[in-house]
Amino acid sequence: MVPSDVSAKLLRRQLPCGGWSALLSSAQPALEPTCYSLLAVGSQAVDARERAQAFLLRAQNPNGSWPVFVGDDRNGSWLTSLVAITLRDFVAAIPARLKGLHWLLSNAGKEGDWFWRWKFRTSDRHVRFDPDKFGWPWFPDAVSWVVPTAFAILALNQLPCSCGGFDLGPSRVDRGVEMLIDRACPGGGWNAGNGVVYGAAVAPHVDDTAIALVALRDRVQDSLLQTSLEYLERTGPSLTAPWSLAWAILALAAHLRPITLLRGALLTFPDLVYVEDTSTLALACLALDHEQALFNLGVSP
Amino acid sequence: MSITRRDFIIGTTALGAGASVSAPFLLPKYHFNRRPKRSRVAILPAGQYSQELDQVLLKGLQLFPLDVRGKTVVLKPNLVDYLPGDAINAHPTLVLAAVEAFRRLGAKSVVIAEGPGHQRDTQLVLCQSGYEESLRCEKIRFVDLNRDELIRTPLRASYTGMKDLWFPRTVLDADFLVSMPKIKTHHWSGVTLAMKNMFGIVPGARYGWPKNILHWKGIQESILDLCATVPIHFVIADGIIAMEGNGPLNGTSRPLGKIVLADDPVAADSTCARLMGFDPLRIMHISEGARFLGNAEPAHIDQLGDTVRPPTIPFRVVPEFVNLYAI
Repeated sequence: MVPSDVSAKLLRRQLPCGGWSALLSSAQPALEPTCYSLLAVGSQAVDARERAQAFLLRAQNPNGSWPVFVGDDRNGSWLTSLVAITLRDFVAAIPARLKGLHWLLSNAGKEGDWFWRWKFRTSDRHVRFDPDKFGWPWFPDAVSWVVPTAFAILALNQLPCSCGGFDLGPSRVDRGVEMLIDRACPGGGWNAGNGVVYGAAVAPHVDDTAIALVALRDRVQDSLLQTSLEYLERTGPSLTAPWSLAWAILALAAHLRPITLLRGALLTFPDLVYVEDTSTLALACLALDHEQALFNLGVSP
Repeated sequence: MSITRRDFIIGTTALGAGASVSAPFLLPKYHFNRRPKRSRVAILPAGQYSQELDQVLLKGLQLFPLDVRGKTVVLKPNLVDYLPGDAINAHPTLVLAAVEAFRRLGAKSVVIAEGPGHQRDTQLVLCQSGYEESLRCEKIRFVDLNRDELIRTPLRASYTGMKDLWFPRTVLDADFLVSMPKIKTHHWSGVTLAMKNMFGIVPGARYGWPKNILHWKGIQESILDLCATVPIHFVIADGIIAMEGNGPLNGTSRPLGKIVLADDPVAADSTCARLMGFDPLRIMHISEGARFLGNAEPAHIDQLGDTVRPPTIPFRVVPEFVNLYAI
């Protein structure tokens, strides 16, 4: 199997509306697979790219955010970050993107509110975390989690400056970085965001760890990063699923760690082109062209 | 005693305010009654996960007057995450035995569907938990409910106060939905059984990982709203190796040696709770579910197979749930 096979398969899955659905069996266009697919097909397929960009612009909510899928409620979701990253090099999308990033800055995990901070400090203490350190939720009016926070950091890091109403950007990014570090698992790595529950350490996940490591590429030089990278290096060779494998490749490449073995495993993964999940297929494409993918995510190895 | 106009206005205002505050607590949270006159539960002894489960399960299912001929059967196993050596998930051997049994009973199609609540990489959970190879060999379709096509669905009870949720098409289109929980204790809800297993139909792509909205709205309340809206037609609970303590992920394995089958999820959960040494009526979603979703009282349950014998030593729970122990 060669990378172009995966890419060609991805292009064939594009829906007439310009978006991609989450599963091959579905006709409902969704934003996450569309973003990964658009990043993966890149400049090689002009028509597909333009249709996808137009689709993303049409899907934007009136408040500047983006939904999870077409037809979803119009309140917004974490995908606002991923869409902003995806549309970075599309000049016609600049106003929409800025509106999206403004929405992102106005949105925060519930811990950002004094009442919830007080509640987490006094009565709701079974999950160990510092409520002063908050990031971004999956959707508005919820608490912060690792993946949405990591993508928000990546999106806001792409702002060229903190002018134009983005003066809060750097402090929100710093707070988000603190939140990621606070929510890490005791032995390194991350899961959704619960490192310790009822006094017991909860195991990390490869994809959550990798996404956090990509977001923290330029921010932290401490032992947590080292133990988390070691967790990925230790776990990577035994991975049997392309989504986690692809994220592990991207994170290790971002931190200049060897990826030859994992890349070989992804290339020889049986039936990769038949994977039902579109995001997984797109992410495999991105991992096989990791330098471009990391550039698109705004991360320089 | 005379009442002035001022007293009257203050009195009626206070009455109105009181009524508006208390009404939500007094009004019924459900507007239908799906509770059957009698329910059937079968407890099947099974010491280990082996190929013999095919026969054990088929014989068990034949105790029920099931007619799945020509129907689309969706099996919803409890598949949360994978930790080596831990009894977190419904065992694939039992789930495959269920596929085989429903095929033999004439189902048009049998699909396994789940949306893991902790792990975003569903394929990784399938591989690590021993599902994927069997799915491939037996040509069984699996649907990732975290990413399936979604349909906005009005909730049919109002315990959480939410008006609707997005649910996966695969589940809504099913003719016959089978909940296949792992019998476990749970640090937030006391137990996680057939009814709590329905959290897996709430799509992570829409609501995030974990499905935290359900925790914020109240776990017991969310269970009731989900089960009121998406009916469970049958239960096959994996209690061969169960879990106690700090479940659903970090508990310890507890060999129970039972499979529980039921045509009523409330009766299934009530029976499983008794097998764990708990008083089911102290578990809110069971006691409240017994008002309109099914039967919790043994007097309304036809017991097939083994009898319910509470364990000598009840399942361990986190301190918040010691009140569940049957006296």
